Amino acid sequence: MERKNFLKSLIIGAASTSVLAAACKKDDTASTTSTGSSSASTPPSSSNGCAVAPTETEGPFPTHTPASYVRSDITDGRTGYKLTVKIIILSNSNSCNPLANALVDIWHCDKDGNYSEYGGSGMQATDYTSVHFLRGRQTTDTSGLVTYTSIFPGWYSGRSTHIHVHVYNSSGTSLKVTQIAFPEGSGTALAQVNGYSKGLTGYTYNASDNVFSDSYATEIAAVTGNTTDGFVLTMSISV
Amino acid sequence: MRIITLCYRKVIDVNSTKPWDKLVFESSYLEFKMQAQNFSQHTRLTSYAQLVNNIPGAHQLSARVLPAINGYIHQLNNVVPDILNNVGIRSLRFDNYQLEIINSDINDKIRHQIAINFYTPPLVWHDSVGEYLLLSPYQPDATADNEAITNLIQVQPYLNICSLKTI
Repeated sequence: MERKNFLKSLIIGAASTSVLAAACKKDDTASTTSTGSSSASTPPSSSNGCAVAPTETEGPFPTHTPASYVRSDITDGRTGYKLTVKIIILSNSNSCNPLANALVDIWHCDKDGNYSEYGGSGMQATDYTSVHFLRGRQTTDTSGLVTYTSIFPGWYSGRSTHIHVHVYNSSGTSLKVTQIAFPEGSGTALAQVNGYSKGLTGYTYNASDNVFSDSYATEIAAVTGNTTDGFVLTMSISV
Repeated sequence: MRIITLCYRKVIDVNSTKPWDKLVFESSYLEFKMQAQNFSQHTRLTSYAQLVNNIPGAHQLSARVLPAINGYIHQLNNVVPDILNNVGIRSLRFDNYQLEIINSDINDKIRHQIAINFYTPPLVWHDSVGEYLLLSPYQPDATADNEAITNLIQVQPYLNICSLKTI
């Protein structure tokens, strides 16, 4: 009886592991509603002290599932020119050798300049608060490399085109928060995309951008390609 | 006829022992820690309460952590966990859920505590039998003399009647 009940306790959502087959001989009291107490998994007792025991066929057993952010293709239905993003993470404390097993989150706006997880406010009118497009997470390999498939970002007032990057160690401790800038000038990807349907009137260039203006030489990626075949962005980031 | 929805608020924290609960605890804590560091930059704030009380936008953290546990919710197959009917079966289904961060801390996993609120579809509350609610799924096109498949669910801590409509 003991072993059978131990197995039952492994069922997803099955009630308290402390429930024994001889539940009716135990006086199980229901957990109280104090803050900080754990889930009400102990079946409450009825007036004569008997409690219903969970009795269901075992399984399926829970399996580790990565967060939905963990994906290489972050396009998520957004339209735009294809952009492959390759980022190499290097370790300052290890002679700028590649850093493996780092978690790298990237995110950027869509072709119209809108972000997922934001909206309905002055900063962004379009409400995308419950979607997660153009956000993704990858883990660096032994070469320190992460790769994403995305679209070339659009732009919004006050900022030059950019991609946000947050690098963590494998335990989730933040190592660096930074942004990637794009090369400017005739023939560059930025010029070819030309701001999608918005054009580039009123665009803020890197030298005037409040994040990049003092140091964009180190934050500019290398971008190759064209609107037909798509673009490839390569960037090294030291943490 | 009284139509209700039930909601079960499942609290998961460092004391949770069941395998599913522990997976959700670990994944939600790691995600909280990573997302919270987007808000805590240039501050010395580390707790969820401090962030929500001081940093505009930190209230988004629950929504930002939800993608870390959607896969686990999916594994439940829409069956509300823990709540048994009177013959020992989890007979309640949920069609909606919500993640709530109660407390947490970027530097202290022990402080991490979340709740997942599970909401049932509309149920007919036929009667109460002692401490038990006699319920069946609400089927608007059923006629009055159709036999209803019912369940007895005990009124218990963390299980709430969260909406009521009399028709």
